[in-house]
Amino acid sequence: MKEFNVVLAGVGGQGTLLAAEALGVAAVKDKLDVRVSEIHGMAQRGGAVASTVRIGEGVFASTVLEGQAHVLLGFEPLETLRNLKFASVKTLVIMNTEKIPPTELTAKNMKYPSITEVVQKIYRFTRKTVLVQAAQLASKAGSNLAQNVVLLGVLAGTGTLPLKTESLREAVRELVPAEHVEMNLRAFQLGYESVKEGRKKA
Amino acid sequence: MPDLKVLLQDSPGKRALLLGNEAIARGILEAGIAVVTTYPGTPASEIGDSISEMASEAGLYMEYSINEMVAVEVAGGAANCGVRALAAMKHVGLNVAADMVMTLAYAGVRGGCVIVTADDPECYSSQNEQDNRFYALLSNLPCLEPSDPQESKDMTVSAVEISEKLELPVLLRTTTRVSHTRGPVEFKNLVKPNLKGKFVRDLKRLVMVPAFSRPKHEVLLEKSANAQAISETSHYNRIVRKGNEIGIISSSSAYNYAVEAANLLGLDAGILKLGMTHPLPEKMIAEFLKDYDQIVVVEELEPYLEMQIKAIAKDYAPNVELYGKMNKRFFPKEGELSTRIVATGLSRITGKKLPINFQKISEKYAEVTRDLPSRPPILCAGCPHRASFYVIRKVGGDKALYPTDIGCYALGIAPPLNVGDIMICMGASIGMAEGISKATGRDTIAIIGDSTFFHAGIPGLVNAVYNNSKVAVAVLDNLATAMTGHQPHPGTGMTGMGNPTERILVEKVAEGCGVKYVNVVNPFRTKEAAEVLKEALQQSGPSVIVFRSPCTLMDARDKRRRGVKIVPSKITDKCTNCMACVKLLGCPALIVDEGKVKIDENSCAACGLCISVCPYKAIEGSCAE
Repeated sequence: MKEFNVVLAGVGGQGTLLAAEALGVAAVKDKLDVRVSEIHGMAQRGGAVASTVRIGEGVFASTVLEGQAHVLLGFEPLETLRNLKFASVKTLVIMNTEKIPPTELTAKNMKYPSITEVVQKIYRFTRKTVLVQAAQLASKAGSNLAQNVVLLGVLAGTGTLPLKTESLREAVRELVPAEHVEMNLRAFQLGYESVKEGRKKA
Repeated sequence: MPDLKVLLQDSPGKRALLLGNEAIARGILEAGIAVVTTYPGTPASEIGDSISEMASEAGLYMEYSINEMVAVEVAGGAANCGVRALAAMKHVGLNVAADMVMTLAYAGVRGGCVIVTADDPECYSSQNEQDNRFYALLSNLPCLEPSDPQESKDMTVSAVEISEKLELPVLLRTTTRVSHTRGPVEFKNLVKPNLKGKFVRDLKRLVMVPAFSRPKHEVLLEKSANAQAISETSHYNRIVRKGNEIGIISSSSAYNYAVEAANLLGLDAGILKLGMTHPLPEKMIAEFLKDYDQIVVVEELEPYLEMQIKAIAKDYAPNVELYGKMNKRFFPKEGELSTRIVATGLSRITGKKLPINFQKISEKYAEVTRDLPSRPPILCAGCPHRASFYVIRKVGGDKALYPTDIGCYALGIAPPLNVGDIMICMGASIGMAEGISKATGRDTIAIIGDSTFFHAGIPGLVNAVYNNSKVAVAVLDNLATAMTGHQPHPGTGMTGMGNPTERILVEKVAEGCGVKYVNVVNPFRTKEAAEVLKEALQQSGPSVIVFRSPCTLMDARDKRRRGVKIVPSKITDKCTNCMACVKLLGCPALIVDEGKVKIDENSCAACGLCISVCPYKAIEGSCAE
């Protein structure tokens, strides 16, 4: 299999690490080679964070080369923009529309750009975009904290991953605390179905 | 978090996705290592943390030592009783341990002894990006450098074997990108750790007085020669492929970029991968050099390999052209490498065209992100350090100076808190405060965390008492080594084995050191804390104020467990939008939406600090005042 690269971008505390790990665990289940890069420590304290997942034979580095992401999974609009260097016309951008204003905006009393403005910028790189109201879907599933798993569901629903959806679901089951498994699987399913329905309509 | 119990499975052939550091933990279990010591530090922390979680079940002893020096002392002591031991630390931790390491190399060990150093190119979570391979050269200790999680595990086991063969500690050097990359790891059998050792008195071997150290230096050099013989035949040093155009020599994460960059450019390159990078396999490298007209050395940080390969080339292949980062800088010495950086360097050396127009991507990216606000790490909503800094700034103002230290509280330097003027290394805040106070005569408040205080702050404090320095030491005690993942420390009353132990209180230590003014405050009781700090600054000698309140992340986790609901603070209609809370605190839960202050209910930890500072009493909720 040729390589498949996912960049996960968000804010420390949003659960990008867990989502990246779930993709890695699913790849191992599907007997594929995989590398996942993570950033720990200081960078996690509410700062911008990005993880990368590379699946396929002949994958050595865990980081993604500029312009070579197959999917940019944005957990937050501004963080999606911050990682556009990994995107090209071929990249699918999945973006959570839930905004987390950086304190710099608050301090300088600046306005957070509208989603339309954000999307216009993404269009400079690619037209392939899926917008997700992950906060809404996560709350519906039972917790606002499950937005990361909603986004994994959406990613699975787009059908672009070289992974079995069941493997990814199984990975989520293994990685989240036992008492939250059902809620997270609901979140996954809501994400999965949201994009499936969207595709049917289109 | 994944269930780390997978590491305990005695299931050879199993393939699991592990972080590089978790793979080292698995290596510890496969090598039968019985004593594991560490001081937490990114990017090394998960080695000790994984072992801490399963130590008693695995039948080994684990401890969070108070610093890296003690960690190596404990490991070295056990290893000299024939027990296998490993000490793990971040790169700068090896500076702290260096005194012990340099002479332990002379004394040697009986049981396998591994010292893990996790370097941090790009300073993702560190104060410098020193290249610790030079410690191998300096100490004459063998050094293994994994490039992925599988090798991280395998090399941990090999390090023990080499260590026992040579009776010498072995360095295992990772980088952030190795320690924090997940990849599939294939398991081998577990080996039962043997904690029962025997100490054999042997003064000439173990007591490094001059008369005994001199001959031991010779012994060390002999061992180093034997280590080189191991390096020549080690399967970690190997030609991974042959090529006709050019030869590449690389190690660690740089090797991954080198392979991918060569593929990207379609280079017909021969690649020599070095996994044992001290001592280098001189003959193997010499043979490789002879096969090529041009050799490229691809390595992160310093030209550690390049310098030595140049020396080898002089003797064996004087006509070979060497490219790296010494004379002509095809690769940077600073920062982390990437496939892009390596491909660009290789393209400049060989004239092969890059198939991706990186320049164009960068230009377009710069355009799109021109107005993008930055998002640096910040203190969490509810962080007690924010309250401490608010109090400290209120009392000390612009007149006082604030030497600070290593931990989450280094983030206090950012506006609007602006507490922190100089920060160098663990524990340095107190000593530097003494120098600054003597040199300027200004009020000087040293900022230091609880774990850092135990790690390296105490000698500075004793020095302040002994030399009567007029410094106030603010110990921000959040009851954990928070930045690295809430590991316990002597002030928490818990050990790395998960057992309760004597709780060592900072204030008792300070009193014991002879500090006359010692006080403990709750930082969220801002008025009371401010009064205490004012009093401390009146002292003619050193004073210690312990600002004690648990890390908000731990507190929230604890509340969730106990089913206690966190009720976010509320802004009432008394709010005049004066922005005092926003401007004074910079709390991420205080957001301004369409010119109005709002509290983000999802992130508010209900710490009540904004309630304390609101001049119009327009915020409701629980508050410690």
